[in-house]
Amino acid sequence: MRIVCPFCGERELGEFTYLGDAKPQRPAADASEDAVYDYVYLRDNIAGVMSEHWYHGGGCRSWLKITRNTLTHEISTVEPAAGAGAAKVGA
Amino acid sequence: MAEFSWASRSPLEQALVTGVHGARGVEAGILLTEIRNFDLIQVMARRGKGAELAKAAKARFGMAAPDTPKAVQTKDATLIWSGPDQFLVLSKDGKYAMNTLAPAFSGLASLSDQSHARALISISGAKVRTMLAKLLSLDLHPAVFQVGAAAATSIDHTSVTLWRGADQTDGRAVFNLLVFATFAESLWHTTLDAGAEYGIDIRYSEELA
Repeated sequence: MRIVCPFCGERELGEFTYLGDAKPQRPAADASEDAVYDYVYLRDNIAGVMSEHWYHGGGCRSWLKITRNTLTHEISTVEPAAGAGAAKVGA
Repeated sequence: MAEFSWASRSPLEQALVTGVHGARGVEAGILLTEIRNFDLIQVMARRGKGAELAKAAKARFGMAAPDTPKAVQTKDATLIWSGPDQFLVLSKDGKYAMNTLAPAFSGLASLSDQSHARALISISGAKVRTMLAKLLSLDLHPAVFQVGAAAATSIDHTSVTLWRGADQTDGRAVFNLLVFATFAESLWHTTLDAGAEYGIDIRYSEELA
């Protein structure tokens, strides 16, 4: 498997580490315990297209948001995660 | 309070033995040179200041700092891309040090002195690409990785900054590697193992290539 880093170009999988689902959003400070529990522990186990965070630690050290099909490993989009290349991406 | 006298030493001082390593009786296929006593400053744009930093850098260096994986040579420094909105300034004899660069990029970038935090290794020779192919997953074909190309990548799970310098006078390619000082010795041994079959001519130099 290879990932096309938006900053570095096509690189081998070994340069990247996987964080996981990019969907969970940190609940507000006054959110219920259930909402926090859900955010911290509960994950969907998706068979199909999934949005994920990957880290290009063996390269430019940018966080990436990747859309990957967990059945085929086909990667359809790669974009910098919010804050990656902070000055350029904004966010 | 104890008095300390800090003398800077190369992280490869123990590991580097000048002379020929590996295959004998052939012309060394690899020329491995450690460059010592350089100034290296990491410049990272502050949030939202990328464009302003680019402008300030152009004014300071007389040419634009690379915003893609490239290394550019100014009249007295090499500017090497190290990631989005960040680059390294490699120079010598204090031309670009923290005390001169920090005021120029005040408020636009965070600077970090890496002079003694990295080792700089220059690799050339007839077998250089064959040897590097054992260590790197990048395509170093002359048409793909041209003079001035740079990459942030890994060798043996160790992060390195790689760039292709100006060709030697005989037209042969030169590849430069910056590696974290504490990983330098490990990478050095890996390089020796990879190049032994071609014969390695080992040197060190105080001159930037």
